[in-house]
Amino acid sequence: MSTHAQVGPSDRHRSPLMTTAGYAAMAFVVLIIAVPLLWIVVTSFKERQDIYVRPAQWIPNPATTDNYSTVVTTIPFPAYFRNSLIITAALSTAKIVLGVLSAYALSLLRFPGRSIVFLIVISALMVPNQITVISNYALVSQLGWRNTYQGIVIPLAGVAFGTFLMRNQFLSLPTEIIEAARLDGAGPMKLLWRVVMPMSWPTLVAFSLITVVNEWNEYLWPFLMSDNEATAPLQVGLTILQNNEGGTNWGPVMAGTVLTVLPILILFLMLQRQMIKGLTAGAVKG
Amino acid sequence: MDKLTRRGFLGLAGAAGVATGLAACAGTGSTATGTASGAAAGGGSSKVIWWSNHPGNSKEAEQKIIAAFQLANPGITVDLQDGGKNYEELAQKFNGALAGNAAQLPDVIVASDVTWFNFALNKQLAAVDDLMAAAGLKTDDYVDALYSDYLFNGKHYALPFARSTPLFYYNAEMWKNAGLEDRGPKTWQEFKEWAPKLQATIGSDKIPIILADGTNYLDWYFQNMAWNFGGAFSKEWTPTASDPKTIEAGKFLQELVAMKVVKFSKTPEADFQAGIAACMLQSTGALGGTTKNSKFAFKTAFLPGDGNCPTGGAGVAIPAGISEDRKKSAIKFVEFLTNTANTVLFTQATGYMPVRKSALDDAGEKAFLDKNPNSKVAVEQLAKTRSQDNARVLVQGGGARIGKSLDQVAAGQDVASVFAALDKETQGVIDAQIKPKL
Amino acid sequence: MLLLPNLALLTTFVYRPLIDNIRLSFTDWNISSPTANVIGTANYVEWFGREDTRQILTNTLVFTFVTVMVSMAIGLGLALLLDQKLRGRNMVRSLVFAPFVVSGAAIGVAFQFVFDPSFGLIRDVMARFGAQSPDFYQQPGWALFMVTVTYIWKNLGYTFVIYLAALQGRRIDLDEAAEIDGATPWTHFRKVLLPQLRPTTFFLSITVLLNSVQVFDIIYAMTRGGPLGTGTTTLVFQVYQETFINYRAGYGATVATIMFLILLTITFIQVRVMDKGTKT
Repeated sequence: MSTHAQVGPSDRHRSPLMTTAGYAAMAFVVLIIAVPLLWIVVTSFKERQDIYVRPAQWIPNPATTDNYSTVVTTIPFPAYFRNSLIITAALSTAKIVLGVLSAYALSLLRFPGRSIVFLIVISALMVPNQITVISNYALVSQLGWRNTYQGIVIPLAGVAFGTFLMRNQFLSLPTEIIEAARLDGAGPMKLLWRVVMPMSWPTLVAFSLITVVNEWNEYLWPFLMSDNEATAPLQVGLTILQNNEGGTNWGPVMAGTVLTVLPILILFLMLQRQMIKGLTAGAVKG
Repeated sequence: MDKLTRRGFLGLAGAAGVATGLAACAGTGSTATGTASGAAAGGGSSKVIWWSNHPGNSKEAEQKIIAAFQLANPGITVDLQDGGKNYEELAQKFNGALAGNAAQLPDVIVASDVTWFNFALNKQLAAVDDLMAAAGLKTDDYVDALYSDYLFNGKHYALPFARSTPLFYYNAEMWKNAGLEDRGPKTWQEFKEWAPKLQATIGSDKIPIILADGTNYLDWYFQNMAWNFGGAFSKEWTPTASDPKTIEAGKFLQELVAMKVVKFSKTPEADFQAGIAACMLQSTGALGGTTKNSKFAFKTAFLPGDGNCPTGGAGVAIPAGISEDRKKSAIKFVEFLTNTANTVLFTQATGYMPVRKSALDDAGEKAFLDKNPNSKVAVEQLAKTRSQDNARVLVQGGGARIGKSLDQVAAGQDVASVFAALDKETQGVIDAQIKPKL
Repeated sequence: MLLLPNLALLTTFVYRPLIDNIRLSFTDWNISSPTANVIGTANYVEWFGREDTRQILTNTLVFTFVTVMVSMAIGLGLALLLDQKLRGRNMVRSLVFAPFVVSGAAIGVAFQFVFDPSFGLIRDVMARFGAQSPDFYQQPGWALFMVTVTYIWKNLGYTFVIYLAALQGRRIDLDEAAEIDGATPWTHFRKVLLPQLRPTTFFLSITVLLNSVQVFDIIYAMTRGGPLGTGTTTLVFQVYQETFINYRAGYGATVATIMFLILLTITFIQVRVMDKGTKT
């Protein structure tokens, strides 16, 4: 591990050919991925009658910000936004903590029936939420938890994906280091906190990102659990902008989408740097 | 012994803890000691909870009506809650609520032409006749065709609210260029004669008529075509898609496809509004949007054929599971919601149909219709409407089932065998799901 | 015990409903009804005998296989590419991740402007060559193609981020050893990188498969399972359709149970075949 030093993989010399190929590929990716995204953004600045036209209009003419003001004025946007933040923060925290602890137990601690427990955990990924909602609705309703944050959060807090991902990561760590730490007398929690976590930073960041996105976009369960802006998240609130008979005005819907996606992208920009920082930090400790 | 109750099969521990082994061994305690009744968020006699999907972006209009109601009934408040983005979602949510605690049921729900019946059939909706009578309110002013849509075993299970019908929209300029009279076709045969003329003048990259596809309610619009040929999807509880007349209508649709004068789309209104299609069948609920979106003058007309326009849209219903006190407040509110003044208000805000006969005599409504000739056509067509076929609206999953068959017909499959298969499926559902409960 | 809270949550909110679901699959429950009759294995018999079962299974299989293969391959390619030091790489990384964040409804509309035979980009391009665009929404094969492409587009961000994280954590000493040995980029990739990424590939092959099988929002927003009724209906969509549209919750539960068993089997095989490499 000492060879990690200060030099990251990306800093090494590359042939000019590879670099050119890299840029060409990047340009291509940008094109393919960006076009539909661009369409969402462009539509959000269009007047209603300019959305469905032929030939397609790639630059809004005239450009308008009306759609954004429509979003903010026709639905209680700040309240939904607040709920989204609370729900996502609570769920992500719960999932990350539970996921790391479960993965740690399933990878580095020894106990009987470990692989059975692991299979039970990942089997939870095979149960689609369409079949759990009615049963859970009944239960949560009995508890009187509808229209509460805990009613939305707790039923979703069990974590299978993250347990799996982190277990995989922990198992890939060099055994010598773990054994060395154990010999030094590190207890299980200290081992996790001081040795295992610092070396797993990039994966933890990836896990967190994906969890945040999934919780931010959670729709069906919060929709069933909340009846108004007291607890409903943005994804539920935005559907008020859609019309169910004879065509939706997509301008405001797209504006709402842009407003919903932006915070997550900013978070991504911040966290993806952490991914790399984390590596060097881990390497130094290792 | 072989009959389960919902509390049983949903593994609801409640206090008894009779749930499945796993739920018991979860033993999180919190699940077993549920405080069912105390924390209920449901309405009471002084509070009416209304689940709406705000048809036609009508939240604002709904709130206005609620404000007026609260002013007139100081003891009762109405809580308007978001029931989903469409009728299906609202039904899904209500089905969830039925599995939950009765104290938390809403007091009023919006139910569409295809969602109300399964609730009524399973005794989850209160009959409005009795409630109206008990409250001293009358139902005879509702437009007959719209009110009788909710009739089942001699009782009505909803009041008409956001009601729509299909409407014929056409591009006036394209009509003129093709040398057609400034009106809708009287019959589908006439349209078939017009279509080549339209095609000749609009150019090959445009289409004479655009229709919704089978996943977007073609089944609703096609009823008009089927009825025109003397066919139907069903007569009472007998499927009749394989009746020669219905088959003829299917073949007619295929002829239009073969002539390349019709296209099917997920969003027909978009093609029409962009000036790519000369005409379309679309809900009256789309009138407001189409007016705002189109850069050209369009007109509306009755559907082809006389008296062959299906009704549609949604009503408001009251769950059977709430207390009698709550029902009393709820009926008071839904009657107010659909009274003459409010149906006028709601209609003008959305483009839905006035559900009261007296609304047509309302001075404000008259003035509004004079100013909006397209809406006037839609309202006048109300007199020509006919209740939909059971196979589409009452038989569970009917819309999707018929839509699938129509997609197959449009794709060129043999009409007779497609419709025969449809009848068989419809009959299967009637036998399994409806007959035992009638 | 560290596992207990998580296991308790999964048991209460996933496995308890699953058990309910399995019991319901032997009933004729109409979702709005307070009661249900036990009908034995009739639903299962119906499933195996029904005409649409075959198409729905094929749709699910094709959709899943293609999305797993393609999104993993492209995700890995992009991760390798954007692991290099290139100008603007942070922005491009965000861009690749962005579709993963966008909700299904917005994607449905955005892609209408790619695929729609009246308004779409594909139509525009093809018209320039005098060709006619296929009607992606009305022809079952094309419709399945459309939702598959859209789903891959949306979920690239997922495979990309996981692979990228794995690349960040790799052992640089091995890279350098390879460089000293004068390995070509291709042998370097095959002999050095791929073996190190094996646990990640194993992880992705399972989770991407399970996610793809459960695709719902894209299909709901784009085709609602159509055209021709079942053109893009997958097992999960059928569960939804039967339970909430046809109200046959008993039959929906049957489909869900069958799906669970299929997935359990596949995953079990995957674990047996691939997890060996990751055991310490």
